[in-house]
Amino acid sequence: MKPAKFEYHAPGSVDEAIALLGRYEGDAKVLAGGQSLVPLLNFRLSRPAALIDLNRIPSLAYIRADDGVVRFGAMTRQRTIEFSDVVRQRLPLLSEATRLVGHLPIRTRGTIGGSIAHADPSAEYPAILAALDGEVVVKGPKGERTVKARELFQTYLTTSLESDEVLTEVRLPAIDAGAGTAFEEFSRRHGDFAIIGIAAVIAGDGASCSMARLATAGAGPIPVRLRAAEEILERDGLGDAPIAAAAARAAELVDPDSDIHASSAYRKHLTGVLTERAVRRAMAKRGR
Amino acid sequence: MAFLRSPHAHARIGRVDLASARAMPGVVTCVTAADLRDTVRPLRAASRMTGYHATDLLPLAADKVRYQGEPVVAVVAESRYVAEDAVDAIAVEWSPLPPVPDARAAMAAESPLVHEEFGTNVILTRAFRHGDVDPALAGAALVVRERFRFRRHAALPIENRAALAAWNADGLTLWSSTQVPGMVRDALAESLAVPGHRIRVVAPDVGGGFGLKSSVYAEEIAVAALARRVGRPVKWIGDRREDLLASTQAWDEEIDATLALDGHGTIRGLRASVLADVGAYSIVPWTASIEVIQVISFLPGPYRVPAYLGEGAGVATNKAPMGPYRGVGRPVATFVMESLLDRAARRLGLDPREIRRRNFITEFPWRSPSGIVWDSGSFAETLDEAARLADWDGVRAAQSLRGDATRRLGVGVASYVELTGIGSAIPASPGADIATGTEGATVRVDPTGTVTASFGLACHGQGHETTLAQVVADTLGARLDDVRVVHGDTSAGPIGTGTYASRSAVLGGGAAILASRSVREKALAIAAHQLEADARDIELQESAAWVRGAPDRRVSLREIARSAYLGARRLPKGLEPGLEATRYYDPFFGTASSATHIAVVEVDLALGAVTVLRHVVVEDCGRVINPRIVEGQTIGGVAQGIGGALLEELVYDDQAQLATGSLMDYLPPTAWEIPPIVVRHLDRPSPSTIGGFKGVGEGGTIGAPAAIANAVSDALGSLGVEIAELPVTPDRIFRLLASRAPRTG
Amino acid sequence: MPEPVSISLTVNGIAREGRCEPRKLLVDFIREDLELTGTHVGCEHGICGACTVIVNGEAARSCLMLAVQAEGAEILTIEGLAKDGKFHPLQEAFRQHHGLQCGFCTPGMLLTALDFLRVNPHPTELEIREGIAAVLCRCTGYQGIVKAVDAAAKELGRTTG
Repeated sequence: MKPAKFEYHAPGSVDEAIALLGRYEGDAKVLAGGQSLVPLLNFRLSRPAALIDLNRIPSLAYIRADDGVVRFGAMTRQRTIEFSDVVRQRLPLLSEATRLVGHLPIRTRGTIGGSIAHADPSAEYPAILAALDGEVVVKGPKGERTVKARELFQTYLTTSLESDEVLTEVRLPAIDAGAGTAFEEFSRRHGDFAIIGIAAVIAGDGASCSMARLATAGAGPIPVRLRAAEEILERDGLGDAPIAAAAARAAELVDPDSDIHASSAYRKHLTGVLTERAVRRAMAKRGR
Repeated sequence: MAFLRSPHAHARIGRVDLASARAMPGVVTCVTAADLRDTVRPLRAASRMTGYHATDLLPLAADKVRYQGEPVVAVVAESRYVAEDAVDAIAVEWSPLPPVPDARAAMAAESPLVHEEFGTNVILTRAFRHGDVDPALAGAALVVRERFRFRRHAALPIENRAALAAWNADGLTLWSSTQVPGMVRDALAESLAVPGHRIRVVAPDVGGGFGLKSSVYAEEIAVAALARRVGRPVKWIGDRREDLLASTQAWDEEIDATLALDGHGTIRGLRASVLADVGAYSIVPWTASIEVIQVISFLPGPYRVPAYLGEGAGVATNKAPMGPYRGVGRPVATFVMESLLDRAARRLGLDPREIRRRNFITEFPWRSPSGIVWDSGSFAETLDEAARLADWDGVRAAQSLRGDATRRLGVGVASYVELTGIGSAIPASPGADIATGTEGATVRVDPTGTVTASFGLACHGQGHETTLAQVVADTLGARLDDVRVVHGDTSAGPIGTGTYASRSAVLGGGAAILASRSVREKALAIAAHQLEADARDIELQESAAWVRGAPDRRVSLREIARSAYLGARRLPKGLEPGLEATRYYDPFFGTASSATHIAVVEVDLALGAVTVLRHVVVEDCGRVINPRIVEGQTIGGVAQGIGGALLEELVYDDQAQLATGSLMDYLPPTAWEIPPIVVRHLDRPSPSTIGGFKGVGEGGTIGAPAAIANAVSDALGSLGVEIAELPVTPDRIFRLLASRAPRTG
Repeated sequence: MPEPVSISLTVNGIAREGRCEPRKLLVDFIREDLELTGTHVGCEHGICGACTVIVNGEAARSCLMLAVQAEGAEILTIEGLAKDGKFHPLQEAFRQHHGLQCGFCTPGMLLTALDFLRVNPHPTELEIREGIAAVLCRCTGYQGIVKAVDAAAKELGRTTG
């Protein structure tokens, strides 16, 4: 389990990285935290001609909050996010979910940009990007563009990024102080990828729901925004019946694949169960 | 070194093109089976079992591969990186054959054959009969039947297997991550046609074994053969993928079992038929029978079973070979028997504890239906104490308070008895001539007064350096700090096989006592001579001797030892010089360890998730040498049992391709999944072993899966769900609950 | 053909240099080039945690880093944990509480625990279990390790006021 040979470049700037990616014409991989890519290299499941390591570009690591948006440099470590006061206050959902990403030594290296660009549908960060309707900034030879969550994820481990583009920033809208959030996840072991994860944001007073945001991890080839379930809550409020209806709707909205850990039917079932649990827990955290 | 391993479960090997690999810079050599044919002889595990077919153990597959991961080409290069590059550059013309994916398929008349020359995939059968089981079943008030399934499991030591071979003018030294250096030495002598005294096998600090490292492996032979061929040391460090693909695997049995009882819950008879998926080869030296025979041997458990028929068949498939794993067969046997008893108790409205008490063996020695002699057992005592520690009644009270909540509590019990310290009366398989029943110890006091105790055993985390030193120090009368234990090196100790089967305390400890007694006797004679007293009046403790009642005048062990080697000038007349002894011990039948496990679980019905809240073990492992080490062995074993019950499963698809080839998919438990585990020891010395020791290394893994399965069945009992398949994964619970959900509309 | 790269870094307080292919994993560089074999290799895909070392003050998997990425880094391996022949309180606690059996996971476990206790100096038992869930141990069932980390936390809390 040793990587095949590759050229290695550690550019000092994003522009330099883009130029290098162009030079390899799709046969280079961007190395961010490496917590998903290096295992693939070690198994020789990935054999790029070159690695373009972003770890020597200090300007890609930051957390900035302004105008209701929290912006993360792509190379911001998950560990930094876990302990960030800004994130705790403005994006408590992200704080909670970050503690579910692998284990602390994984989060030491793992980055927000890497996790999202890797596009593992069982991972927490893509689900949050989908739930919050966030966007990423992508830079390529033709300049910069922003890509919304729903346009970013295409299928397993595949985004709409071009091979010579670099994801440079993740933008998540800050969550209203009065809203409640929860990330409910079920995995076989602590720190494993989710069998199903549900990101939930609930706003509104009492039984009324002014806004609901729900998205999945693990329920298909890309994170699924559960808009039809959100609408039930926004329309019918947060009583037992609408919550149950929203959970049932959530299960209908997903079409997960089967794998050795969970059948499709079980994942659909879990989507409903965890949607209900996430909604209830988010509700209870409102206004705190 | 790296291996090209078969990507196919079953295929003929055509042309192998090594040209580009051999041409790579840094590659020393690439060889196939043909290149080693003249220098390496096949090994076979002998046995007189009916219908048994032995298979060849060779370093590389010739002509045909029989499981995914089987080594086909060995590449020696200057680094593992380059060796893997070379493996990638090898082109093999494969002719894939239809695979045999599981034991049921293998039994079908039209099934392809793993080994064509046998004309069958059934490579062994064995049966134990006692009494007349048919009338017992026919006339019983209650008969419970179930088909049980225990899925395939990996031992998964955290250190992967590894071996390093170096030859010089004196012969071969092989460093190997093995539990059985003695067996490997003997096997290499045969395989490589080298005299045994030219081979030294060293198992230094070995990073866990759990049975996986107690067989002889192709890779060990390959490094030795290749090192001889290239004239340089050759090292193979197996990686995790190789470990999951090509180390021996465990369990994977289907058991049809029927238990007959009278109206009071007294067992009348037991019948079981075990179908074991033994993989592609019959491993050396254990044969493919090791799991299945132990299942049928131990199914009756610690209970009086007046009529028994246990039949087992080992069926070859295109999977990695089945081998010993902690508990060997007994985790499966215990799961089946304890599940049957709980089913019977539910039908009869009996407390699970009560049905066990009504059937426990209480007279010893007791000959079990499979012919094993139980010398002792504290079955009811372990059960009662475990129930108290687990707060059984408290769990029952909490269950009724919770009613039909989403999170259900369950409590489950499992009692078992295991044969440990197995002596020569019980061979590894019928007719097997490997020396699993004896073990030696050499105890030597050197002229500086320090003691070296050397063993053929090999430690891989059991703490023999501590426990065997304690035994020697206590028996001989030496200071603990003066005793050094040497093990895991075939050139440094007496003949022995290694450490497996909960044998080291009993056999190694017994041999250590015998040798230490011999040395002590001689030391007393020398001390008596120097103190001018009778040897019977000498005290020898903490490395000093004195005449009883006169502790002021002492001779040290060092002085005694110096005299021993100085010879006639200092020794009593006629006493042979030297102060060392080598003794061997054979416990003949062995002895009986027993325990009761109680697991308390919570089942989240909506998630199908089981959480073990606490786990209690009360065990009788005989005289305890070191309580902390016993506790560590037991807790570690329980953790593996929890993994086996809930998380760990080697999954092969219908093409016999391993779907769990990484630790993302094969799931040993982390600290988070393991609850606090309470262990209590009953100190009941064995009546039949020297020292009174009973083995303890495996027990934790034997009892835990059964207790957890019963606890889950208890939690789900009111829903009509009983667990018959392990591991009981969330998806399986979901399906069990869904299949029993009341249909509406 | 990728050229070998030169690497300068500080390991256990000592400046070290080496030269290797860019694909070489940090753990192999530490073991083979720096000859510090206390760091173990268990899975090479970041799950078992045996290879965990401290990189610039934080625990990380050395099987998921390239050696070249450690250029200029400060690394602590298990060989650097004891000071002046005296065990670190964590090591002492592992010894006292039977926190190891075969010892193979122990280096990664100790360094993971070291990092964990810096982040959470006064953990509950469950927090300890969560923290050390980053490393697989197959021998101990974790109980001795949990006790050891708890004891070490108390000892470190006492000695550092």
